[in-house]
Amino acid sequence: MKINILKPVLVSNQQRAKENRKFFDKINSLVLNIIGSPGSGKTSVIAQIIKKLKSKYKILVIEGDIRGSIDSEQLSKLKVDTIQINTLTECHLDAFMTSQVLPKIEKPYDLILVENVGNLVCPAEFEIGEDYKVAILSTPEGEDKPIKYPLLFHLAKVVIINKTDLLPHLNFKIKKARKNILNKNPRAIIFEVSSRTGKGFGKLVDFLKSELQRKEK
Amino acid sequence: MHEYSVTKSLVDLCNQEAEKHKIEIIKLIKLRLGKFTGFSSDAINFYFDYLKKGTRCEKAKIEFFEIPIRIKCTDCNYQNSIEEPIFLCPNCGKTNIEILSGREFYVESIEGE
Repeated sequence: MKINILKPVLVSNQQRAKENRKFFDKINSLVLNIIGSPGSGKTSVIAQIIKKLKSKYKILVIEGDIRGSIDSEQLSKLKVDTIQINTLTECHLDAFMTSQVLPKIEKPYDLILVENVGNLVCPAEFEIGEDYKVAILSTPEGEDKPIKYPLLFHLAKVVIINKTDLLPHLNFKIKKARKNILNKNPRAIIFEVSSRTGKGFGKLVDFLKSELQRKEK
Repeated sequence: MHEYSVTKSLVDLCNQEAEKHKIEIIKLIKLRLGKFTGFSSDAINFYFDYLKKGTRCEKAKIEFFEIPIRIKCTDCNYQNSIEEPIFLCPNCGKTNIEILSGREFYVESIEGE
Protein backbone atom coordinates (compact mmCIF):
# COMPACT_ATOMS: atom_id res chain seq x y z
CA MET A 1 0.00 0.00 0.00
CA LYS A 2 1.32 3.42 -0.95
CA ILE A 3 0.16 6.58 0.81
CA ASN A 4 0.98 10.03 -0.47
CA ILE A 5 1.95 12.26 2.44
CA LEU A 6 3.39 15.47 0.97
CA LYS A 7 4.16 16.95 4.38
CA PRO A 8 7.29 18.85 5.39
CA VAL A 9 9.46 16.86 7.80
CA LEU A 10 9.67 19.90 10.05
CA VAL A 11 5.90 20.39 10.01
CA SER A 12 5.62 20.13 13.79
CA ASN A 13 8.41 22.69 14.32
CA GLN A 14 6.76 25.05 11.86
CA GLN A 15 3.40 24.70 13.59
CA ARG A 16 4.93 25.35 16.98
CA ALA A 17 6.82 28.35 15.58
CA LYS A 18 3.49 29.76 14.41
CA GLU A 19 2.03 29.30 17.90
CA ASN A 20 5.07 31.05 19.40
CA ARG A 21 4.53 33.84 16.88
CA LYS A 22 0.95 34.26 18.06
CA PHE A 23 2.23 34.64 21.61
CA PHE A 24 4.80 37.27 20.58
CA ASP A 25 2.16 39.11 18.53
CA LYS A 26 -0.15 39.20 21.52
CA ILE A 27 2.46 41.03 23.59
CA ASN A 28 3.51 43.01 20.48
CA SER A 29 7.22 42.15 20.68
CA LEU A 30 9.84 42.48 17.98
CA VAL A 31 11.67 39.14 18.16
CA LEU A 32 15.13 38.78 16.62
CA ASN A 33 16.78 35.39 16.19
CA ILE A 34 20.48 36.21 16.42
CA ILE A 35 22.78 33.66 14.80
CA GLY A 36 26.56 33.55 14.42
CA SER A 37 29.67 31.45 15.03
CA PRO A 38 30.98 30.84 18.55
CA GLY A 39 33.11 33.89 19.33
CA SER A 40 31.63 36.13 16.65
CA GLY A 41 30.47 38.52 19.36
CA LYS A 42 26.75 37.79 19.59
CA THR A 43 26.62 38.55 23.30
CA SER A 44 28.70 41.74 22.96
CA VAL A 45 26.50 43.00 20.11
CA ILE A 46 23.43 42.29 22.23
CA ALA A 47 25.02 44.12 25.18
CA GLN A 48 25.64 47.22 23.03
CA ILE A 49 22.06 47.17 21.72
CA ILE A 50 20.73 46.86 25.29
CA LYS A 51 22.85 49.79 26.52
CA LYS A 52 21.50 52.02 23.78
CA LEU A 53 17.85 51.01 23.93
CA LYS A 54 17.04 50.02 27.51
CA SER A 55 16.12 53.52 28.69
CA LYS A 56 13.26 53.67 26.19
CA TYR A 57 12.28 50.07 25.52
CA LYS A 58 11.54 46.99 27.59
CA ILE A 59 14.00 44.30 26.52
CA LEU A 60 14.19 40.58 27.20
CA VAL A 61 17.09 38.32 26.24
CA ILE A 62 16.55 34.62 25.64
CA GLU A 63 19.92 32.89 25.77
CA GLY A 64 20.44 29.61 23.96
CA ASP A 65 23.52 27.66 24.99
CA ILE A 66 24.39 24.00 25.04
CA ARG A 67 25.36 24.30 28.69
CA GLY A 68 25.84 26.93 31.35
CA SER A 69 24.56 30.46 31.79
CA ILE A 70 27.68 32.62 31.41
CA ASP A 71 26.12 34.90 28.78
CA SER A 72 22.85 35.47 30.59
CA GLU A 73 24.72 36.22 33.82
CA GLN A 74 26.83 38.75 31.94
CA LEU A 75 23.81 40.38 30.32
CA SER A 76 21.71 40.49 33.48
CA LYS A 77 24.37 42.84 34.89
CA LEU A 78 22.95 45.35 32.40
CA LYS A 79 19.66 45.11 34.33
CA VAL A 80 17.62 43.42 31.65
CA ASP A 81 15.54 40.32 32.11
CA THR A 82 17.12 37.14 30.77
CA ILE A 83 15.86 33.61 30.28
CA GLN A 84 18.31 30.76 29.76
CA ILE A 85 17.66 27.76 27.56
CA ASN A 86 20.17 24.92 27.75
CA THR A 87 19.90 22.77 24.66
CA LEU A 88 22.24 20.07 26.12
CA THR A 89 22.89 17.94 23.03
CA GLU A 90 21.26 20.12 20.39
CA CYS A 91 23.26 22.54 18.28
CA HIS A 92 20.40 25.00 17.75
CA LEU A 93 17.24 26.37 19.33
CA ASP A 94 13.98 25.10 17.90
CA ALA A 95 10.36 26.15 18.27
CA PHE A 96 9.69 23.54 20.99
CA MET A 97 12.51 24.66 23.26
CA THR A 98 11.40 28.24 22.76
CA SER A 99 7.77 27.43 23.54
CA GLN A 100 8.80 25.86 26.84
CA VAL A 101 10.08 29.17 28.18
CA LEU A 102 7.14 31.29 27.02
CA PRO A 103 5.26 30.78 30.34
CA LYS A 104 8.19 32.56 32.02
CA ILE A 105 7.41 35.70 30.03
CA GLU A 106 5.00 37.35 32.42
CA LYS A 107 4.90 40.87 30.99
CA PRO A 108 5.10 42.42 27.54
CA TYR A 109 8.48 43.36 26.10
CA ASP A 110 9.10 45.68 23.16
CA LEU A 111 12.18 43.80 22.02
CA ILE A 112 13.10 40.15 22.54
CA LEU A 113 16.65 39.30 21.55
CA VAL A 114 17.15 35.56 21.17
CA GLU A 115 20.81 34.55 21.16
CA ASN A 116 20.94 31.23 19.37
CA VAL A 117 23.59 28.55 19.94
CA GLY A 118 26.89 29.56 18.30
CA ASN A 119 26.70 27.84 14.92
CA LEU A 120 26.26 28.96 11.31
CA VAL A 121 24.60 25.79 10.03
CA CYS A 122 21.86 24.29 12.14
CA PRO A 123 20.03 27.30 13.62
CA ALA A 124 19.22 28.53 10.10
CA GLU A 125 16.79 25.67 9.45
CA PHE A 126 14.69 25.98 12.60
CA GLU A 127 12.16 28.76 12.92
CA ILE A 128 11.34 29.69 16.49
CA GLY A 129 8.59 32.26 15.86
CA GLU A 130 10.93 35.19 15.26
CA ASP A 131 10.20 38.31 13.21
CA TYR A 132 13.43 37.62 11.37
CA LYS A 133 16.97 36.30 11.62
CA VAL A 134 20.00 38.48 12.27
CA ALA A 135 23.34 36.98 11.20
CA ILE A 136 26.58 38.10 12.81
CA LEU A 137 29.84 37.73 10.90
CA SER A 138 33.04 38.82 12.65
CA THR A 139 36.05 39.95 10.68
CA PRO A 140 38.53 37.29 11.99
CA GLU A 141 36.25 34.60 10.55
CA GLY A 142 37.00 35.75 7.01
CA GLU A 143 34.82 37.20 4.28
CA ASP A 144 34.17 33.77 2.75
CA LYS A 145 31.63 32.66 5.37
CA PRO A 146 28.55 33.63 3.31
CA ILE A 147 29.89 31.40 0.53
CA LYS A 148 30.47 28.48 2.89
CA TYR A 149 27.23 28.88 4.87
CA PRO A 150 24.85 30.27 2.25
CA LEU A 151 21.55 29.37 3.86
CA LEU A 152 21.91 31.54 6.95
CA PHE A 153 23.04 34.56 4.96
CA HIS A 154 20.25 33.98 2.47
CA LEU A 155 17.59 33.90 5.17
CA ALA A 156 18.85 36.70 7.43
CA LYS A 157 17.16 40.04 6.88
CA VAL A 158 19.97 41.80 8.75
CA VAL A 159 23.68 40.96 8.66
CA ILE A 160 26.02 42.56 11.18
CA ILE A 161 29.74 42.60 10.39
CA ASN A 162 31.35 42.78 13.85
CA LYS A 163 34.90 43.47 15.10
CA THR A 164 35.64 46.13 12.50
CA ASP A 165 38.22 47.53 14.96
CA LEU A 166 40.44 44.58 14.00
CA LEU A 167 40.44 45.43 10.28
CA PRO A 168 43.93 47.03 10.31
CA HIS A 169 45.37 43.70 11.50
CA LEU A 170 43.49 41.38 9.12
CA ASN A 171 43.20 40.66 5.42
CA PHE A 172 39.42 40.89 5.69
CA LYS A 173 38.00 43.00 2.86
CA ILE A 174 34.70 44.65 3.76
CA LYS A 175 33.78 45.22 0.11
CA LYS A 176 34.27 41.55 -0.68
CA ALA A 177 32.30 40.51 2.40
CA ARG A 178 29.41 42.75 1.38
CA LYS A 179 29.48 41.30 -2.13
CA ASN A 180 29.47 37.73 -0.77
CA ILE A 181 26.53 38.53 1.51
CA LEU A 182 24.55 40.26 -1.24
CA ASN A 183 25.19 37.37 -3.64
CA LYS A 184 23.34 35.14 -1.19
CA ASN A 185 20.78 37.73 -0.24
CA PRO A 186 20.41 40.82 -2.43
CA ARG A 187 18.00 42.39 0.09
CA ALA A 188 20.23 41.95 3.15
CA ILE A 189 20.55 45.05 5.33
CA ILE A 190 24.21 45.16 6.34
CA PHE A 191 25.73 47.01 9.30
CA GLU A 192 29.41 47.34 10.19
CA VAL A 193 30.10 47.58 13.90
CA SER A 194 32.71 47.13 16.57
CA SER A 195 31.27 45.94 19.88
CA ARG A 196 34.56 46.80 21.57
CA THR A 197 34.63 50.48 20.58
CA GLY A 198 30.89 50.96 19.94
CA LYS A 199 31.59 52.24 16.42
CA GLY A 200 28.76 51.75 13.94
CA PHE A 201 26.05 51.03 16.50
CA GLY A 202 24.34 54.38 15.85
CA LYS A 203 23.04 53.22 12.47
CA LEU A 204 22.08 49.78 13.75
CA VAL A 205 20.23 51.23 16.73
CA ASP A 206 18.42 53.77 14.51
CA PHE A 207 17.31 50.89 12.32
CA LEU A 208 16.05 48.93 15.33
CA LYS A 209 14.23 52.01 16.64
CA SER A 210 12.39 52.39 13.34
CA GLU A 211 11.48 48.70 13.44
CA LEU A 212 10.21 49.09 17.01
CA GLN A 213 8.18 52.16 16.09
CA ARG A 214 6.59 50.23 13.26
CA LYS A 215 5.53 47.59 15.79
CA GLU A 216 4.04 50.19 18.12
CA LYS A 217 1.58 51.33 15.44
CA MET B 1 24.58 17.06 13.84
CA HIS B 2 21.16 18.72 13.62
CA GLU B 3 20.07 15.77 11.49
CA TYR B 4 19.41 13.90 14.74
CA SER B 5 16.40 16.03 15.65
CA VAL B 6 15.37 16.28 12.01
CA THR B 7 15.44 12.50 11.62
CA LYS B 8 13.48 12.17 14.86
CA SER B 9 10.82 14.44 13.30
CA LEU B 10 10.91 12.29 10.17
CA VAL B 11 10.40 9.04 12.11
CA ASP B 12 7.61 10.61 14.19
CA LEU B 13 5.84 11.96 11.11
CA CYS B 14 6.04 8.62 9.26
CA ASN B 15 4.82 6.69 12.31
CA GLN B 16 1.88 9.05 12.77
CA GLU B 17 0.90 8.83 9.12
CA ALA B 18 1.29 5.03 9.12
CA GLU B 19 -0.94 4.75 12.16
CA LYS B 20 -3.53 6.99 10.54
CA HIS B 21 -3.57 4.87 7.39
CA LYS B 22 -3.29 1.53 9.24
CA ILE B 23 0.15 0.60 7.90
CA GLU B 24 1.88 -1.69 10.41
CA ILE B 25 5.22 -2.04 8.64
CA ILE B 26 6.63 0.80 6.55
CA LYS B 27 8.96 -0.49 3.85
CA LEU B 28 9.80 2.62 1.89
CA ILE B 29 9.85 6.33 2.64
CA LYS B 30 10.20 8.66 -0.33
CA LEU B 31 11.81 11.89 0.72
CA ARG B 32 12.25 15.03 -1.36
CA LEU B 33 15.35 16.96 -0.37
CA GLY B 34 16.21 20.31 -1.93
CA LYS B 35 19.84 21.19 -2.57
CA PHE B 36 19.45 24.50 -0.76
CA THR B 37 18.75 23.05 2.68
CA GLY B 38 21.18 22.34 5.48
CA PHE B 39 20.45 18.61 5.54
CA SER B 40 22.63 15.72 4.43
CA SER B 41 21.14 12.41 3.27
CA ASP B 42 24.10 10.46 4.71
CA ALA B 43 23.58 11.94 8.15
CA ILE B 44 19.82 11.33 7.98
CA ASN B 45 20.42 7.68 7.07
CA PHE B 46 22.94 7.34 9.89
CA TYR B 47 20.48 8.55 12.55
CA PHE B 48 17.54 6.78 10.89
CA ASP B 49 19.11 3.35 11.48
CA TYR B 50 19.20 4.15 15.17
CA LEU B 51 15.91 6.01 15.58
CA LYS B 52 13.70 3.61 13.61
CA LYS B 53 14.22 0.71 16.04
CA GLY B 54 11.04 -0.49 17.71
CA THR B 55 8.81 1.68 15.49
CA ARG B 56 6.73 1.13 12.35
CA CYS B 57 9.79 2.41 10.43
CA GLU B 58 12.05 -0.42 11.61
CA LYS B 59 12.06 -2.21 8.24
CA ALA B 60 11.95 0.94 6.13
CA LYS B 61 14.47 2.34 3.69
CA ILE B 62 14.62 5.98 2.69
CA GLU B 63 14.70 6.84 -0.98
CA PHE B 64 16.02 10.37 -1.49
CA PHE B 65 15.03 12.55 -4.44
CA GLU B 66 17.36 15.48 -4.75
CA ILE B 67 15.74 18.67 -5.99
CA PRO B 68 17.96 21.20 -7.77
CA ILE B 69 18.01 24.90 -6.97
CA ARG B 70 15.91 26.59 -9.64
CA ILE B 71 15.63 30.34 -9.89
CA LYS B 72 13.55 32.79 -11.84
CA CYS B 73 14.46 36.41 -12.48
CA THR B 74 11.34 38.53 -12.08
CA ASP B 75 12.93 41.29 -14.20
CA CYS B 76 13.82 39.38 -17.37
CA ASN B 77 11.96 36.10 -16.74
CA TYR B 78 15.17 34.05 -17.08
CA GLN B 79 14.75 30.61 -15.48
CA ASN B 80 17.38 28.00 -14.82
CA SER B 81 18.88 25.54 -12.35
CA ILE B 82 21.96 26.73 -10.52
CA GLU B 83 24.66 24.72 -8.74
CA GLU B 84 25.77 27.36 -6.27
CA PRO B 85 23.16 29.47 -4.50
CA ILE B 86 24.10 32.87 -5.92
CA PHE B 87 21.09 35.13 -6.30
CA LEU B 88 22.16 37.36 -9.16
CA CYS B 89 20.48 36.83 -12.50
CA PRO B 90 23.05 35.23 -14.83
CA ASN B 91 21.20 36.85 -17.74
CA CYS B 92 20.54 40.47 -16.75
CA GLY B 93 22.63 40.79 -13.57
CA LYS B 94 19.72 42.05 -11.47
CA THR B 95 18.82 40.71 -8.05
CA ASN B 96 15.06 40.20 -8.10
CA ILE B 97 15.36 36.46 -7.92
CA GLU B 98 12.58 34.12 -6.96
CA ILE B 99 13.52 30.62 -5.76
CA LEU B 100 11.34 28.11 -7.60
CA SER B 101 12.78 25.01 -5.94
CA GLY B 102 15.61 23.77 -3.78
CA ARG B 103 14.26 24.50 -0.29
CA GLU B 104 12.06 21.37 -0.14
CA PHE B 105 12.32 18.87 2.64
CA TYR B 106 9.21 16.75 2.76
CA VAL B 107 7.91 13.21 2.83
CA GLU B 108 6.37 12.46 -0.51
CA SER B 109 4.96 9.04 0.32
CA ILE B 110 5.28 5.97 2.48
CA GLU B 111 4.81 2.39 1.33
CA GLY B 112 4.11 -0.60 3.48
CA GLU B 113 1.55 -3.08 4.61
